Amino acid sequence: MAAPGPGEYFSVGSHVSCLTCLGQRLQGEVVAFDYPSKMLTLKCPSSSAKPNLSDVILVNLAYVSDVDVINDRTETPPPLASLNISKLASRARTEKEDKLSQAYAISAGVSVEGQQLFQTIHKTIKDCKWQEKNIIVMDDVVISPPYQVENCKGKEGSALSHVRKIVEKHFKDVESQKSMPRTQAQQTQKDSSLSS
Amino acid sequence: MLLFFFSIIFKVAFSGVYANMRMVHVLTSVVGTKCELKVKNGLIYEGVFKTYGPECDIVLDAAHRKSVEPSVGPRREDIVESIIFKSSDVVVVHFKDVDLNYAKKDNFTDSAVSARLNGEHKEKDLEPWDGGEQHISGSMESLDTDLSNGWDPDEMFKYNEETYGVKSTYDSSLSSYTVPLERDNSEEFLKREARASQLAEEIEASATYKARVALENDERSEEEKYTAVVRGERELHSLNRENKYIPPSQRNREAGMSWGAGRQNSPRLVQCSPGPPTPRSGPHDYNTMDQRVVNGGAHPWPSRCPSPSSRPPSRYQSGPTNSLPPRAATPTRPPSRPPSRPSRPLSHPSAHGSTGPLSTMPKRLSSEGPPRMSPKSQRTPRPHRVASCRGGGPPSSDYMSQGASVEVSAPPPTRNSPSGGTWSSVVSGVIFSTSSLAHRPRSPRQNSISGGAPSPSCLSSPQAGTVPVDSMTASTTATSPTAANPAANLETSPIEEAKESRVLETRQNSPNANKENVKPEASASIARSIGKGVYLWRYHRKQIDNLKKFSVEFRLQSSSNPDPVFEPMPQNKPPRDLVEKPKDQSNISEETSTAVSVAPTGSKSGTPSLSPSSAVPEQKRGPDVTSQGVQTTSPLANAAAKDKDEKEEKNDPVADVRKSTLNPNAKEFNPRVFCSPPKPATTPTQTRPQGQPSPSIVVQQPHTVYGQTMFQMYPLTPVSPGVQVPHMTMSQTKPYRPVPNMPQQRPDQHHPPGTSTMMHPATAAGPPIVAPSPAYSTQYFTCSPQQFASQPLVQQMTHYQSQAQHVFSPMIQGSARMITPPGHGQPSLVSSSTTQYGEQMHTMYGKNSLSPAPIPQQYPHPSSTLHPHSQHPQPSATPTGQPQQGPQHGGSHPAPSPVQHSQHQAAAAAAAQAIHLGNPQQQQMYSAMAPTPPSMTPGPNPQSPQANFPSAQQAVYIHPQQVQHGYNPNHMAHVQQAHMQSGMVPPHHGTPSHPPTMMLMATQAPAGPQPTLTQGTLNPIPVSSATHYSYTLTPGKDLSHRNSAHISLFTHSRNLSL
Repeated sequence: MAAPGPGEYFSVGSHVSCLTCLGQRLQGEVVAFDYPSKMLTLKCPSSSAKPNLSDVILVNLAYVSDVDVINDRTETPPPLASLNISKLASRARTEKEDKLSQAYAISAGVSVEGQQLFQTIHKTIKDCKWQEKNIIVMDDVVISPPYQVENCKGKEGSALSHVRKIVEKHFKDVESQKSMPRTQAQQTQKDSSLSS
Repeated sequence: MLLFFFSIIFKVAFSGVYANMRMVHVLTSVVGTKCELKVKNGLIYEGVFKTYGPECDIVLDAAHRKSVEPSVGPRREDIVESIIFKSSDVVVVHFKDVDLNYAKKDNFTDSAVSARLNGEHKEKDLEPWDGGEQHISGSMESLDTDLSNGWDPDEMFKYNEETYGVKSTYDSSLSSYTVPLERDNSEEFLKREARASQLAEEIEASATYKARVALENDERSEEEKYTAVVRGERELHSLNRENKYIPPSQRNREAGMSWGAGRQNSPRLVQCSPGPPTPRSGPHDYNTMDQRVVNGGAHPWPSRCPSPSSRPPSRYQSGPTNSLPPRAATPTRPPSRPPSRPSRPLSHPSAHGSTGPLSTMPKRLSSEGPPRMSPKSQRTPRPHRVASCRGGGPPSSDYMSQGASVEVSAPPPTRNSPSGGTWSSVVSGVIFSTSSLAHRPRSPRQNSISGGAPSPSCLSSPQAGTVPVDSMTASTTATSPTAANPAANLETSPIEEAKESRVLETRQNSPNANKENVKPEASASIARSIGKGVYLWRYHRKQIDNLKKFSVEFRLQSSSNPDPVFEPMPQNKPPRDLVEKPKDQSNISEETSTAVSVAPTGSKSGTPSLSPSSAVPEQKRGPDVTSQGVQTTSPLANAAAKDKDEKEEKNDPVADVRKSTLNPNAKEFNPRVFCSPPKPATTPTQTRPQGQPSPSIVVQQPHTVYGQTMFQMYPLTPVSPGVQVPHMTMSQTKPYRPVPNMPQQRPDQHHPPGTSTMMHPATAAGPPIVAPSPAYSTQYFTCSPQQFASQPLVQQMTHYQSQAQHVFSPMIQGSARMITPPGHGQPSLVSSSTTQYGEQMHTMYGKNSLSPAPIPQQYPHPSSTLHPHSQHPQPSATPTGQPQQGPQHGGSHPAPSPVQHSQHQAAAAAAAQAIHLGNPQQQQMYSAMAPTPPSMTPGPNPQSPQANFPSAQQAVYIHPQQVQHGYNPNHMAHVQQAHMQSGMVPPHHGTPSHPPTMMLMATQAPAGPQPTLTQGTLNPIPVSSATHYSYTLTPGKDLSHRNSAHISLFTHSRNLSL
């Protein structure tokens, strides 16, 4: 059981770069390393450049080459904070449901615009779901294809007007993004989904 | 190594990744995030990271294989519920845009917050502060060197006037709080003055007083005392003070600790008591003039503390005297009640106490109200008192003696029975005596002022006797609440061996309480010594000797002293002598109690110092003892007395049980409980005595009751003087405030019992209160809290109640309506006090009405219940006092007694009024109230009545204790008359205080007579509410204002309690 401590190979806090067998170059700060499983966890700046977020990469060193320690840790690793497991569990559940809901919409033949709109609304209002091809917001407002402002129906009130504003702004943004590469729009969509 | 290490740490052999804390942590912190997982064959799966296995297997939920070409999203059918990837297949898992702090629990730590900061976060540069130019020259230094303690009041007034245009209405004469002392050269006045001064000296000389004053007047802040690094003169100051004060307190403590010391102390007390003769005048002075007290006793106080504080003490002193009379009266009432219940009830009310007394009572009550407010009103009461005293002069004296010793009812009853063949006579006598007593305290002034005649007879014997008795009782009651009760029980028990054993048990049970009691006793003894001392000293040093003997015999048992006293009392039967003796004995006992076991002799000198704190307990004990003595005597009196005795015995057992239980629980609780139990015992005894001696005794009992109340007051005051009272007084220029403080202080400082009682009230009362009807609880609570606060008081209260009950009971028996009416009448007259009493009475009556038969029993029970009875007696005393109220309340009542007095008086007045007016509504109310009581009445009747009374009494006491002002107010409120009449501002305070008191009461009530309390509390509350209402209706006639005020007060209290 002479399992070496993580520090024996990679000190927590040190920066490491490596090349995967798939040809992907990885670089980041060592967060954890498990020798028995040869799993290395790196923390990298967010790929989407979001300040408060970061990417975490779990690498299996068995499929990595060119491991290079850029610089060793200079400080003792910070203490580990206790984690709110229930919060994590709920996040996992929510993420799963969201993805399934999105997949459901996609499988239902909802247009890309509809999916984008749904994700946009979902970022603001969590209480939205697909019902066939209709987007149901707060069980009150129904947005049916083609998902334009005038398609927002429901009980007149603040909820409806609020949803309309969101829809209106969404399409404005989409219009402004059309000048941009398609991929970027997708990226945006992707980010939004991730963030959500 | 790691695994081993972790295995050690977790005691579980985590395998694989699980053994790597950091890996576990980071992987766990990304649970629930979307990730892309690349397997070694190049495929990419996307899903929600669900979990991982020990071998770092990865589980993704809702995973789908990500197609190379960008797609809008996975199709439903592409998604797999969850996929487990073996670590050997995983090349890279990429978690994008993860918030690693998402699951951190400490989202509010600096690091957590700063981690979320968006953008650059730069700490502010700290800039040195040089204090500025203008500050350099001294303002800072001035702060260090400025020894002035805040703003000068005049400065404040000036500032407010200039800045806010607010003109202060502050009157340094405190005319709205007190009445100027009317001085004359009459012998009586001089006597009183001398006694007042003597009492003041005794009180001020007491270690407890000093200690409390020191606490109260300690200008040092909390920081200074406990945390600050002392420097300069201040520290020296404080140290000096502490040194001075501490020694006394230590002495007291020592005395309390060691019976021998206590004995020594008791001698002192006795010596002090010699002073009492003057004290008599003093009591009057007190009653008549708090100012005198202030002046006389105040002088010392003033020097120590500002005049305000000094005044309170003086008031307390006066209050004690006043209170004593009320207590005495209450005691008498209880006795009378028992008698009256059977046959007397009606006859008493109508014949002696009820009609005459009632009439007088109303007047007294009214006068009482005024008395406090204005001596004149008190004066009128005095005449009544005198008349009553005259009528029952001998009895009264007996009562006084017995009542004093018995405090509550036992003595009075016996006396009554002896003196008055008819209970009614006894009752009347009691009432008168009570009234006279109550008045006496106050009356002194009145006597001196208006009713020389009344005062002469009454004053000379009754007043003096009563006053002392009252003071004694009051002190006893005050002390008794916790310690006093035990002591009283013990004392009483000593008389009766069994009782003694009980007492001893109680004592044993509450060793702490005893200690505490000792202090209370000391205070009580002081008060007693003061009040009693005068009479006793003059009349019976022999008694003292006897007491000493008793004390010696009973040294260990504080109660033993009481017993001696009691014994002497019965033997001495001569009213005055007996009274004096009882007083002396009680004093002695108190002293002894204070000294712990010190004999009376010791108590004299010792008592003064001890008395402040110990006095209260002692008083309580004393009352109990007296009550026991009364009980003993009662056997002699009548079968009724026997019944009462039985009840008493029951009560005693209950008390014992309570004591025992209480003791186990807590000292504080024990004290109260003990006190309450003792009180019940005392009350029972009283009731017995009433039955037996009821005629004369009853009269005296009232006196005694008043005396008790007075004593209570004194105790309170003494206590306060010693500790709380002084503070109270000191802190609050207004007597009321001091008084309230006193009670609280007493419980806390003086006597663990007291404190415990206080605590108990809160704790115990709390539940009961809740359970009980709010209204009852409120009033009762208010009363009860006080009583609880001061067990002695409570006991006294019970006594009073018992007395009152007795009185009322007669009334009730005669005509429930009458009784209820009386209550109403009283309410109207006394308004608040009456209302309370009325309420109590009503409750009692209601119970009675509900179960007439029970009533007598109940009464006896109340008395027997000890606490309730004792309390009742006190209340009754107060009621009686109410007639006298004015004086008493004004004088001694300021503390607890006032309330009681007021109540008693009110009750008496109410009874009288009821008789006169025959308020159906009130009766109905009562009857209505009774329903709640009924429960009480049936089984608990004794208890419930007692409880009711006690509660009322307690409430009264509580008020006094908690806030003397509050008490006064409460008293005022209850009695209203006195307060209202006197225009006591305190009442207002009282109302505020009432709430606390109420709270206390509630808690206390439970603590004291838990059984009774609960019932009582319940009943009381309803009653009170009913009474209030009824009062409001009826009051209009006599004391609509008062009533309204009382009502308002009550409502406040109720609200508070609620």
